[in-house]
Amino acid sequence: MQLQDKYRIAVLSAYALSLHAFENLLPTPIPWLRLGLANIITLVALVLYGFRTAMTVTLIRVILGSIFMGTFLGPSFMLSFSGGVASTAAMGLAYLTFGNIFGPIGLSLIGAFFHNVAQLTLAYFLFIQRIEAVLFITPVIILIGTLTGVANGAVSGLLIKKILQKNGENIQNDKAD
Amino acid sequence: MKTCGGQAILLAVLLLFAVSCSKSPGIYRKTKPLMDTLVTITVVAGSDKEADAAIEKAFSVIERFGDKIDFFKETSELAAINRNAGVNPVKVSPETLGVIERAIYISGISDGAFDPTIGPEIKMWDFYKKIRPSDDAIRHNLSLVNYRNIIVNRDRSTVFLRKKGMLMDLGGIAKGYAADLALANLRQSGIGAGIVAAAGDIRAFGLKPDRTPWNVGIKNPRQKSDVDDLMATARLSNKAVSTSGDYERYFIEDGRRYHHILDPKTGYPAGQCRSVTVISDDGIFADGFTTAVFVLGPEKGMKLVRDSGVDAVIIDKDGVIHTTPGIKKMVTFEDGH
Amino acid sequence: MKTVIRNTTIADKLLFLTLITASVAGIFFSREAMPQGPDIVITVDGKPQYTLPRDKDRLVSIPGPFGDTVVEIKDGKVRVKEAHCPNRLCEKQGWISRGAIVCLPNHIVITVGGKAGDLPRGIDAVTG
Repeated sequence: MQLQDKYRIAVLSAYALSLHAFENLLPTPIPWLRLGLANIITLVALVLYGFRTAMTVTLIRVILGSIFMGTFLGPSFMLSFSGGVASTAAMGLAYLTFGNIFGPIGLSLIGAFFHNVAQLTLAYFLFIQRIEAVLFITPVIILIGTLTGVANGAVSGLLIKKILQKNGENIQNDKAD
Repeated sequence: MKTCGGQAILLAVLLLFAVSCSKSPGIYRKTKPLMDTLVTITVVAGSDKEADAAIEKAFSVIERFGDKIDFFKETSELAAINRNAGVNPVKVSPETLGVIERAIYISGISDGAFDPTIGPEIKMWDFYKKIRPSDDAIRHNLSLVNYRNIIVNRDRSTVFLRKKGMLMDLGGIAKGYAADLALANLRQSGIGAGIVAAAGDIRAFGLKPDRTPWNVGIKNPRQKSDVDDLMATARLSNKAVSTSGDYERYFIEDGRRYHHILDPKTGYPAGQCRSVTVISDDGIFADGFTTAVFVLGPEKGMKLVRDSGVDAVIIDKDGVIHTTPGIKKMVTFEDGH
Repeated sequence: MKTVIRNTTIADKLLFLTLITASVAGIFFSREAMPQGPDIVITVDGKPQYTLPRDKDRLVSIPGPFGDTVVEIKDGKVRVKEAHCPNRLCEKQGWISRGAIVCLPNHIVITVGGKAGDLPRGIDAVTG
């Protein structure tokens, strides 16, 4: 890993962490409702710097974030961990296999969907264990996730465009690895 | 267009569900309000259609029988018998005759602890409005309570109540008999296994598709929460089970519980048990025996069930559980019981 | 905004529409399929006519062969407040917070928390 990569990961992780913390401060109508703003950074990292960077940033964000908030290895950490890893993996897989068929919004939707599916599955096994309750809430969560996913995807798309314009050819070359 | 696509996917998933559920042979269940309660019939059948036809036929058998012995329905045979008490014998159908003959039999072997002529006493109580009749009224009506004054003429198929004012109430035995009738009908329809549950009066026959007996939960007489709290589970095949408890219809006044199971000898609620569950070969005996044993109390009740060759679980007034030896093989108690 | 639209592929739009329709359909479907929430269901002539939340107090009047039957919901419990059938057993059952009230002459069944005949897991029938 080159020094430049480390620097990049550090900066991206810092952004992701601050967004993660910021959205925890926002009041939401339902306690477990999250906007998934950190996913913007994951998506940008994935498109610009590749899957490995995206996953590293996600892991750092989830682990450090939970340590900062004092929830490390607790139930909310497990949920956030499973959601983060699943969504990054799904987005990465979709990006690598389908290439440019999906734009940032499509990728963000895939990420949001798998984020929620992973969390719901884990929540079912760990905490709720009432399948009817999970089935009942699933479509609602998927719907909210789809709406926030579009917004996050749009922001990611703009960010990617901006960074590409600013840095020109540099990044395009990096993407090859 | 897109909407159609989404729904098509959903429909496909649902269809897959339906197809995977209708594999034969399966368990089919249907519930219908009959005899002032909910009757649920469960059968093992090859198809939905076969199950539905058999269950509906059995429901109609229960409905017809229920109409004949309905205490409150003026056109019922039972109402005719009660109206003609002390006046005329009344001609009745074989089912009504059958249930009354068995009621008299159970009254006899329980020495009147079960008595279908309890009507004049039960009529005076209202467990919802908390109305308790006066001691005088209870004593006065006791002279009308005696199963020996039911005169059955088998050859003419008639029933006669000897004294004017007598009232026969078959509520303590009719649902068990209804389960017996429904089961016989299911067998006629070619059903080999199932359960007829007229509320808590249950008759199970055959085995489930996985070759195991049916699981019948027994309610805890003192429920702690809103969910059904089971005290034990009975594994049954070709058996009937019924339960009578002081918690079904009751009110509490001055710390005393007044419930609907009256002692025919005193006219007051029987006080020695909380609940009695009887497992027997026939629904009518299971149903009738629960009331008899409840009134007799744990000691005399145990003697009666042993002498009659049926099994029972008795929870006495202090919450102590008494069981017959045969119970061990069939019933598993939950922890803490 | 323009950039956003230009960045959106056909696959994105398809995915978005699929997710929205599936989840909206799922919301309606799960409401339909699962009345065991905290609802009170009143069935008349075998057809569910009312599905009412039990946390809202109200009176419901149901016409039948013996006149109107009045059902009352209060404090999460339900009862038949007034019935004109011959035996009025339904009225005598008083308040219930689970299980069912059956009024046969009026063809009314009131169930709380679950469909009529619902059973605990692994149990085929319940006595008592």
